[in-house]
Amino acid sequence: MLRIPFERFRLDNGLRVILSRDPSAPVVAANLWYGVGSRDERPGRTGFAHLFEHMMFQGSEHVPEMAHFALIEKAGGSLNGSTWLDRTNYFETLPAHYLDLALWLESDRMGWLLPAMTQAKLDNQRDVVKNERRWRVDNQPYGDWDERLQAMMYPPEHPYHHSVIGSMEDLDAASLEDVEQFFRTYYAPNNAVLTLCGDLDTAHALSRVRHWFDEIPPGPPVPPIPGVTEVPPILGSPVRAVVEQDVSLPRVYIGFRIPPYGTPGYYPAAVTAQVLAWGKASLLYRRLVRERRVAQDVAAYAFPFVVGAAMLVIWATARPGVTADALEAELARELATLRDVDSADVERAIHLIEARQLSDLQRVDERADLLSMFTMLFDDPDRINTELDRVRAVTPQAVREFAEAQIVDENRATLQYVPRDGRRGS
Amino acid sequence: MSVPDRTQAPAPGEIRPFAFPRLERRRLANGLTVIAARAGDLPLVTASLVVDAGAAADPARKAGLANLTALALETGTRSRSAEEVAWAFESLGVEFEAEATWDAASFRITVPAGRLESALELFAEVVRSPVFPEHEVARLRDEQLAHILQRRKEPRALASDMAARFIFAPEVPYARPLVGTTASVEGLTREDVEAFYRTHYLPNVSSLILVGAIDIEEAERLARLYFGDWPRGAAPATDFEVVRAVNQTTVYVVDRPGSVQSEIRIGDVGVERHHPDYFPLLVMNTILGGAFTSRLNLSLRERHGFTYGARSGFAFRRRPGPFIVQVAVATDVTARAVEEALKEISLLRDMGATDEETAAARDYLAGILPLELQTTEQIAARIADIVIFDLPDSYFQDYRATLATVTADDVLRVARTHLRGDRLAIVVIGDADQITEPLRALGVGPVEVHRVE
Repeated sequence: MLRIPFERFRLDNGLRVILSRDPSAPVVAANLWYGVGSRDERPGRTGFAHLFEHMMFQGSEHVPEMAHFALIEKAGGSLNGSTWLDRTNYFETLPAHYLDLALWLESDRMGWLLPAMTQAKLDNQRDVVKNERRWRVDNQPYGDWDERLQAMMYPPEHPYHHSVIGSMEDLDAASLEDVEQFFRTYYAPNNAVLTLCGDLDTAHALSRVRHWFDEIPPGPPVPPIPGVTEVPPILGSPVRAVVEQDVSLPRVYIGFRIPPYGTPGYYPAAVTAQVLAWGKASLLYRRLVRERRVAQDVAAYAFPFVVGAAMLVIWATARPGVTADALEAELARELATLRDVDSADVERAIHLIEARQLSDLQRVDERADLLSMFTMLFDDPDRINTELDRVRAVTPQAVREFAEAQIVDENRATLQYVPRDGRRGS
Repeated sequence: MSVPDRTQAPAPGEIRPFAFPRLERRRLANGLTVIAARAGDLPLVTASLVVDAGAAADPARKAGLANLTALALETGTRSRSAEEVAWAFESLGVEFEAEATWDAASFRITVPAGRLESALELFAEVVRSPVFPEHEVARLRDEQLAHILQRRKEPRALASDMAARFIFAPEVPYARPLVGTTASVEGLTREDVEAFYRTHYLPNVSSLILVGAIDIEEAERLARLYFGDWPRGAAPATDFEVVRAVNQTTVYVVDRPGSVQSEIRIGDVGVERHHPDYFPLLVMNTILGGAFTSRLNLSLRERHGFTYGARSGFAFRRRPGPFIVQVAVATDVTARAVEEALKEISLLRDMGATDEETAAARDYLAGILPLELQTTEQIAARIADIVIFDLPDSYFQDYRATLATVTADDVLRVARTHLRGDRLAIVVIGDADQITEPLRALGVGPVEVHRVE
């Protein structure tokens, strides 16, 4: 079996460092996870963690405006960042001889971001992010499904109640003072994991990491996640919403609370998602798409959230002529069969997960992101090598028991999209 | 420990060599090309079959047929039903991927090396003995029709379809969506699919590409075993002229009431993949809109905040595909965004780029090549390009050296030749009530308002 090698270190300022050598191509991936996400936003500032991520690309004390992107692209690298509920990550993949460039840029914005912040930069990126929201959410059929479903599945006081992208009003309210406060609270070496993966010598790479990061002082202890983080394992009673939108075909989303990512109870849910909708032999594809032809497409995903409860979401788009109600009834009928799921369904799902993981691990950027993730979330980078064992250990009986406990009406959030009546216009 | 000098970007270390995997070729007696490339250090193999059966070969009134045929292949063989095919692949942990582009139909699996033989046997069965069951073809056709319906409400897909329609003359295949239109797909039958398959799916116009933990001897053995008795046939050539729809810059507003953004496409007929200006065009487009720090994105996003992102690109096909600038902007800045984008196009055409910009674009393109060749799937896709466009096997070995020859003079020359401001199709999907007048006031050309039928 594949084993990803790595070494882990911790600098005096608290920065966790994972180094993983893979000399198969002359490239290196640098990946930083900060332990802050949309879950840490305070009321009235939804979307701020993501807006802040944009500000991290606007230069720092020694890096001129626009130089961050320009220097990496000129070096022949690719780069980006992303914000999610539980974390924010920054990553670049470069020709291996540009390792120092990545470390200089990452250390400068970790240590010296604030001197470069200006109101003009904030206003510009606020406009960019508002356009990102329009592009992803407001101008896109079904584009607000995750925002709506999160609000239905987590109570208002829970940190997952609101979406990562946030509201236009809250984006408008964000100030330079917020930028400063957020930076001082969350962006410090003791709240970050740095992974380097690729064509590197670990002793040399560690000395370069020390060179660039050692002098950054640690920040204060990171405050606890705001709000009420515990939720009951199931919703308690079914919730539903029907949204009229300018879409061609009805679509139904069904969400269930599941145990948090990383806990033993999560893995049967993750396998269930693949039993349901991954591949053309999956349960929902073969029954609803191929046999009964009520669905145009089906999908299922176990979202790997760590606070309180994660969620399993299943969705299907109706074929023309099929109503959202009819599709929902068909979905419900199939979900009920999970209680007697066939062993072959579970084995098929596990085989697909195994093969996909092997294929994904060909990429150094993927390896680096997983090493950062397992270190940040579970303080255990070796989960990159052991996580599949948790998936393989899921038995058909475990899936049946999971379905019995979680795939129940009292734990069901249903969101229907139905085409808006054309005569009513826009 | 030395004190870091943070005041300037650190110098790079010693550059390390990069080699594109070496291709080895064989040709079977029936004409099937077999290509193997050893790559990576994991026990994985990607197998890809590339067939000269792309959508450019669709009969005019049967647009969408190549796509339907490629998707219908896995819905049953002489010995297995659609569901049995799916179970057989997926029980091995394998996903069978089928895709039609304009120039080819491609089928692909990635499989642990130990299971390659059984997976490839099944793969060959699917490709060589499909029976196209009536009920499965009808289902896929109806799904394709529903997909076409969805494309009308999804602004990016709609913009791309409308841009093609307004760039190319109606008789050019590229003017139609690759998946066809409601009218063309409604009439497709299993007989059409079978006839398309019989005509185009032949070993002498196909290549089997195997990448990963495999060598050419093993590749040839497997190819002979599973594809050796695939009978060759006479493959028709696909040929057509590419003609532009308009010869005067025109603004096409496609009304999407209530849109909070406008999806803008500024397009022209580009060039074919074999055009001698290919490399200078890659560099020129990187300066204009091919990367994050390209001029279009710096202007529209980082300077003006009109958008989440702006980019441009040439779709290189066997015949000249489109050149398109694409950007989604807030409704109230639609006309200003069009104006800025046009300004960037004419600035590059009139003034060219600096040596420094040219060097940065070249270095970017050269540097990202190995980043995009990390997986067996990625390498197989690049080899498929070599096959489809008949490029030399040394193409990717020589790629960086060829790029290095492109100068700022070349950039200026190809910008002047290929970036024309006087015959652009400017397509804007958005709220016509709010954007039409400002677009008229720009005065870049006549403005037509269309509705989605």
